[in-house]
Amino acid sequence: MALVTRAEGRMYLTPLVGFLLLFLGFPAIVNLIYSVSTVTFETLRSPVLSGFGNYVAVLNDREFWGSAWFSLRFGLLTALAECLIGLFLAIFLAPLLSKRPVLMAPLMLPLMVAPAMVGLMYRLVLHEFAGPVPYYLFEWFGDSPAFLDINNAFRTLVVVETLQWTPFAFLLFYMAYSAIPLDVREASSLDGASPLEIVRWIDLPLMKPTLVIAFFIRFIDGFRVFDNVYALTGSGAGGSTTSLSIYIYQAFFKEGAIGKAVAASVVLFLASFIVLHGLNRLAGRRKG
Amino acid sequence: MKLNRTSFALVATLLAGTALPTFANATVTVLGWPGGSEETALRATVETYNKQASDADKVELLFFNREGFYDKLQADMAAGSSAFDVNLVATYSIGRYAPYMEPVDLGADAAKVFGESVLKTMQFDGRQYGVPTDLSLHFMYYRKDLIDALMKDDAAKKTYGEIAQKYLGKPLQPKDPDSWTWDDWAATALYFTKQVNSGSPVRYGTVLQMKNLLFNMMVFQSLPRSYGGDWMDKDGNVTVDSDAYRTGLELYKKLYDAGSSPKDSLSYEYAETNAAFASGQAATALQWNAAAADLTSTEKSPAVAEVTGIVAPPAGPDGRADHIHGLGLGLNKNAKNKEGAVRFLKWLATEDAALLYARSGGSPALSPDVVAKVAKERPDLVKLGEFASKYGYVMSGATSASALPVYELQAKEFTGYWSGQQSLEDALAHTKAGMQDLLKK
Repeated sequence: MALVTRAEGRMYLTPLVGFLLLFLGFPAIVNLIYSVSTVTFETLRSPVLSGFGNYVAVLNDREFWGSAWFSLRFGLLTALAECLIGLFLAIFLAPLLSKRPVLMAPLMLPLMVAPAMVGLMYRLVLHEFAGPVPYYLFEWFGDSPAFLDINNAFRTLVVVETLQWTPFAFLLFYMAYSAIPLDVREASSLDGASPLEIVRWIDLPLMKPTLVIAFFIRFIDGFRVFDNVYALTGSGAGGSTTSLSIYIYQAFFKEGAIGKAVAASVVLFLASFIVLHGLNRLAGRRKG
Repeated sequence: MKLNRTSFALVATLLAGTALPTFANATVTVLGWPGGSEETALRATVETYNKQASDADKVELLFFNREGFYDKLQADMAAGSSAFDVNLVATYSIGRYAPYMEPVDLGADAAKVFGESVLKTMQFDGRQYGVPTDLSLHFMYYRKDLIDALMKDDAAKKTYGEIAQKYLGKPLQPKDPDSWTWDDWAATALYFTKQVNSGSPVRYGTVLQMKNLLFNMMVFQSLPRSYGGDWMDKDGNVTVDSDAYRTGLELYKKLYDAGSSPKDSLSYEYAETNAAFASGQAATALQWNAAAADLTSTEKSPAVAEVTGIVAPPAGPDGRADHIHGLGLGLNKNAKNKEGAVRFLKWLATEDAALLYARSGGSPALSPDVVAKVAKERPDLVKLGEFASKYGYVMSGATSASALPVYELQAKEFTGYWSGQQSLEDALAHTKAGMQDLLKK
């Protein structure tokens, strides 16, 4: 006998469905309407339908493609760096952490800081006259690089993002690594496998699902980056550090081009949907 | 059933308990400019006002963050927010916010306190939309000790002349900062640059604010203006591709490329510029007048406070020019307590309130008779009034609803040129095309 009847199930689900329709469905419909309308802040309640001009404007805008390229590079590089460093730390520190679990707390601290605060913190830390990093570089070497100039801004942003979010990847990998039964490693060791071979042929294959999930979570987070980049460099000299999120924000608020901003967000949504749907199908095929 | 009734009664009592004090204390909520001297002065002024105001007129202050302030304000006002009765308004955003505000009559005495020209910084379509609380313009801050030493040293003067000839193609000699042209300033900046002159006592000759930020464009604007630059001519044609803008943009790039300004200048705005000048490692800085209090405070800037001189921005062929930017407070169309808000705004426009605001650290531009009463405590306000009346200007088209997007556009394109990502021709062509589009709206 079923614990919950079909009718009861529907009843229990109604509030959730209602909530989703109200808070996700309604804005989505408004977005779709705005994206094919001429609309300003003065006419938010009375947009005039005008066809697909906003989409054409977005797709012909070199800044849109520039920001998409920035987000893609940023997302891939930071996800890769965070996963590689996180994996190394998880395996390297595992013996220590199993004996001193309290050490996890300080390692997780960067995750507790809001990304915008991290941006502001590095703005101070890297300032030539107020920050400790340039101060010591001048003391020791007589010079300090310009961390936020046009040549280094991208690299600095990648490092800042990686420093903050590597603990996230590390946490996932450490949990996955700890979950591997010890007897598997012991058996392979008895068979004469070296520590590197154990990592290569035992640990990594067993951790693969976690590695893939962590990489995509970090890629999505890096791709949609806004706060720390905006606080640290804004959109950058000549728009050189404009991520897609910053592009949409600027089109909406700075230019007042609401239709264009919303059209860009719809394009982003469609691209994300296709990628996620593809991944989902891939995962389904692997299970099958 | 009894339980339900009891619960209902309890909830009703709780609601009444929280709602009643709200009805009893209908206050005026004021959204001010966050951070800096403006917030400090407004807090002190409101404290005094609240001591004399009735309960219904008492003022509560509300502050966002400066980052994206105007965007958030626009979104709130467009949504018909009544979360505040009085809101901040700026000269360059009046056209943008006027549809969501109501004009306010400040009375005849306001003109005696501020002067007609300052009241105009808060007018749109001939109607008064706010009380002008702060006037912002730019000062040229310089190190008196360094300039004095340069003027007395013949060998240094010779080096100065050689550097001016090499970098600017002109045989210049050191001058008193109050009679500087932009070339004199540039030559001085180059002379005090370690990368150009290894004997310089400081690392940099100046601090340029070059971040892709609209406020930095306001600081830059006075350079091309003094060469006759304007956004539009009398017929409404965009003239940003003029020789005046070319000269200004090229001079900034020349100084940045020569190492006269910190390497990270492309990420510098107000705070970074203050920190650089206050460190004692820069000889000059074109910076907002609001920085005067900090840069001349022995507590906040011990390295430079006693040797910092202040003059108006240098001159070009058309004389000196100083970009005026007024901040003020006006009435939200959707205010819940309009009567109380108007009473507060009228009080804020009185002489007593303006003097209190000035003494509390604000920067109101006051008429000569009124500013004389605070001249001893706030000598910078005398300079503020003097520079505003002598050199103050507003670019043609700069109070339209598109003014802020124009500054944004210039910030993006000009920083693109300064950072070497595009040529001067491309930067000016993109700016002109964008401005034509924005200003015709």
